[in-house]
Amino acid sequence: MGLTNTPSDLLPGTLELLILKSLVAGPKHGYAIVEHLRVTSRDVLHIGESALYPALQRLLLNGWARSEWGLSEANRRARFYTLTAAGRKQLAGERAEFDRMVRAIQHVLEAM
Amino acid sequence: MGSWLRRLTYVLRQSRHDTELREEIEAHRALRAAHMEWDGLPPERADDASRRAIGNVLLAREDARQVWLGSWDTWWQDVRYGLRTFRRNPTFTAVAIATLALGIGVNTGLFTVINAVLLRDASAPDSHELVSISQTVQGAPDLVGMDTFSTSEYFAYRDRAQTLSVAAFGNAMGEATLGGDTPRKILGTLVSCNFFAVLRQPPVLGRSFAPHDCEPGATPVVVLDHELWRTAFAADPAIVGRTIQLNRQRVTVAGVAADDTYNPSPLRAGYIAPLTAGRLLASNDTRYGNDRALWLNLLGRRQAGAGVKQVRAELDVIAAQIDREQPGRSTRLTIGPAGPALGRQTREAAMGAATVLMAAFGLVLLIACANVANLLLARGTARSQEIGIRASLGASRARVVRQLVTESVLMSLGGGLVGSVVAVWSFQTLVARAVPAMLPPWFPLALSIDVRPDGQVLSFAVVLTLATGVLFGLAPALHVSKPNLHAFMKQDAAGTGSGRRSGRLRGTLVGVQVALCMVLLIAAGLLLRGLRATYTIDPGFEYRDVALVSLESAFDGYSREEAEARRRRLVAGVEALPGVAAVAAADHKPLGDDMSPFAFRLPGESERQARIGERITVTDDYFAVLELPIVRGRAFTAEEVRRPGPAVAPAGSMTDRATPAILSETTARNLWPGGDPINRTLLSAPVDQSLNVETLQVVGVVADAQLSALGRIDPYYVYVPGDGAALLVKSRGGLAATVSGIRDAARAIDPTLLLTILPLEASLGWSRGISRTVTTLFGGLGVLALVLASVGIYGVVSYSVTGRYREIGVRMALGATPQNVLAMILRQTMRPVIAGAAVGVAGASAMSGVLTSVLFGISPADPIGLGGGALLLLGVALAAGFAAARPATRTDPTATLRNE
Repeated sequence: MGLTNTPSDLLPGTLELLILKSLVAGPKHGYAIVEHLRVTSRDVLHIGESALYPALQRLLLNGWARSEWGLSEANRRARFYTLTAAGRKQLAGERAEFDRMVRAIQHVLEAM
Repeated sequence: MGSWLRRLTYVLRQSRHDTELREEIEAHRALRAAHMEWDGLPPERADDASRRAIGNVLLAREDARQVWLGSWDTWWQDVRYGLRTFRRNPTFTAVAIATLALGIGVNTGLFTVINAVLLRDASAPDSHELVSISQTVQGAPDLVGMDTFSTSEYFAYRDRAQTLSVAAFGNAMGEATLGGDTPRKILGTLVSCNFFAVLRQPPVLGRSFAPHDCEPGATPVVVLDHELWRTAFAADPAIVGRTIQLNRQRVTVAGVAADDTYNPSPLRAGYIAPLTAGRLLASNDTRYGNDRALWLNLLGRRQAGAGVKQVRAELDVIAAQIDREQPGRSTRLTIGPAGPALGRQTREAAMGAATVLMAAFGLVLLIACANVANLLLARGTARSQEIGIRASLGASRARVVRQLVTESVLMSLGGGLVGSVVAVWSFQTLVARAVPAMLPPWFPLALSIDVRPDGQVLSFAVVLTLATGVLFGLAPALHVSKPNLHAFMKQDAAGTGSGRRSGRLRGTLVGVQVALCMVLLIAAGLLLRGLRATYTIDPGFEYRDVALVSLESAFDGYSREEAEARRRRLVAGVEALPGVAAVAAADHKPLGDDMSPFAFRLPGESERQARIGERITVTDDYFAVLELPIVRGRAFTAEEVRRPGPAVAPAGSMTDRATPAILSETTARNLWPGGDPINRTLLSAPVDQSLNVETLQVVGVVADAQLSALGRIDPYYVYVPGDGAALLVKSRGGLAATVSGIRDAARAIDPTLLLTILPLEASLGWSRGISRTVTTLFGGLGVLALVLASVGIYGVVSYSVTGRYREIGVRMALGATPQNVLAMILRQTMRPVIAGAAVGVAGASAMSGVLTSVLFGISPADPIGLGGGALLLLGVALAAGFAAARPATRTDPTATLRNE
């Protein structure tokens, strides 16, 4: 799977779900989120910036994440995203929904 | 809720937000580059690779903004961008907006008039509850009237309906003489007792009608119209309870109606009286209580909670009950909103006229659209550089189209605003001037047409404006935005890449303009010919030195005998005047437009074979006064005129008491082709009273004359002996002296007598006035269209010439003369023009039939009318093309080629 620049390659809302999950361990900046997703997906999910930043803006808009400026590991100014309580709730709900969806898709694919 | 708040803070801090996002993405890229260096890439290559990997930053930022603002933001962006573009091209914008203002303005203006005449809401409170009820009755041939109800039918609906309360009113027709120091004629309306209560518009002064006012034989009371109260009674607050003179009767003023009291008619009534007062005010008004006379308009107010469906169902039940009482009768009710122009037939006639006008005015708007579309296309090609940049930066085609359409809608909003404001203001003046010119000269009152704009006018203007913007903007936008990245990359954007394609679209648009313009010009040309005809036409009767005296309702209020005696004395007095050669009377004025249709058939023919025509009662001197030669048989005798009432015979039977009749030549020819009509018999009946058959015996044939309408010889026109309210006085010694002599004679007999005295020529003037108004209208539209179309042609040619300087240079360098070049350009220009003209001529000849009634004998295929308009348009198109093409032939070929 190549660079995922359009979220439409994923199920709708999945990118936000993955970002939320990657923030559970602690605040991260954009590049760290991309790297986290790449590594944990065993090098399958390469999220492009033009998909990442709109998705991050959606998290902010819905109040699922907060952002503040800080210093990155390379001593650069970067914006760090932190999961909010609403974000945690959203993650739990979305996760259950996603599981249901995946099972449903599996049922369809395995049906004779 | 929370997200809205966040959205709002975003909007307030938008620029800071943008900077932060840019910074954040740049930080992201730097981290990526560092990572790549870590993996062993040299620093410069890491920088490049990270930039490539990060993709379209601009698009990412745009998408991020979209998250916050949704599409609203991009709209606003488009609007600001469009406004900036306008500022950079002020001339282009001004021309486009002016063109659109014209197109939208004339249509909005027309709509204010149509709205006033046809659509406006009733002025009463809660007008949505009001419904108008009209009926179409079949199987009851003895009923007289259209759409309306008899008094007993009204009472049935009023008493039986539960879902609505029903009021009734007659048309504002009954002319009455308002007595006092200066007697004047006013119109009145008769209404049911509950009229003001149903409308919820009580009189502003005094009281409305009480039940005892509406008993037959009650002391007569009226409610005065607000306007009449102001003008004739100086807004006297003590008027209530006083008596005034109406048709020589003393009536008590019960109150003064509110200024905006519901009035569905364009005529303004001076007084409002109970239905029962009709007989008192005019002795010949026998409609109250007469079950055969349909004359009442019904107006209902729905009870709270009663839907239109429920009301309809209930009224249908009552109609069926009425039908059961009269075997054979079947009634169909039409229930509609209570606006202006009540009654199905009135509405349908008015709708027809409105449709023709809307179509004509719509053509001008279409031409304006085609024009601006062409301008946009030309400019769009010039903007292909800019559009190319946007496309290569990732703007989708839909995005570019939206941007361009937003610009065109903005432009049409500008045009719509300017046009509508000017139109609303100017049409009020226009209507005030044009409408009186279309009324007959003997008409006593001005119309009250309220052309002030209201909510409906506003919505019409807004919808029309938006639709216009999309209509003229979409095609050029789709065309210009066709992906053409390749040409753009070749730095050849202004070149000929899409030249041929857009040339074809431009040619089509020119063709459409020319075709539409042709329709209007041909209509105008035909109408102009018609107008000319009204001045040169010989109506076939003598109108010079004849005075027309209208005695209609002049003697109202007198008993039948008294009125008859006074009338006889007046006629005798006029006959005795020194300058008077002869006096005749008829029941219809020549060119009076007030005919009542009759059905004629030969004995033995069925009613279905009847021919519809006109029947006019005339005195013995009528033919002499109008100098209509009797070509066969004889004129009427004085004895025949004096004899009371024509003999009525049962249908189909022959009696010796047939009414003598004189036919026009055309009528005789149509009834008995090639035969001698003298002494033949003919049956006639009013069209709406088919049982009222009269047997006619032809005693003479008179020369044809255009008596019912200028330019028209009626196929069936029958004269019978009798008296009438239109007095025709032939003068020997100058018309002015005769007119003042008639006035003196009238004053001597009865100082309260109000007579309308006009030269008969005024009737011709009225016919011309209608023709002039219609011709001016279409001529004006035609000129507008012509100006727009010639501007369009000029623009297209000069644009295409500018793009072809190199080609022209090459041609001239190879030996083409300026004349050759000019001829070539004109040939190419005229191709769409001629194609459009041909379509236009075909369209116009298909449509010109609707104009027949105002063409005054000119055929819709009149070669001068048709050809004149066509030649004018082609000439103007040629001139516009020539003017635009000429600069190209003056170019110096070597200079042009060197520039390349």
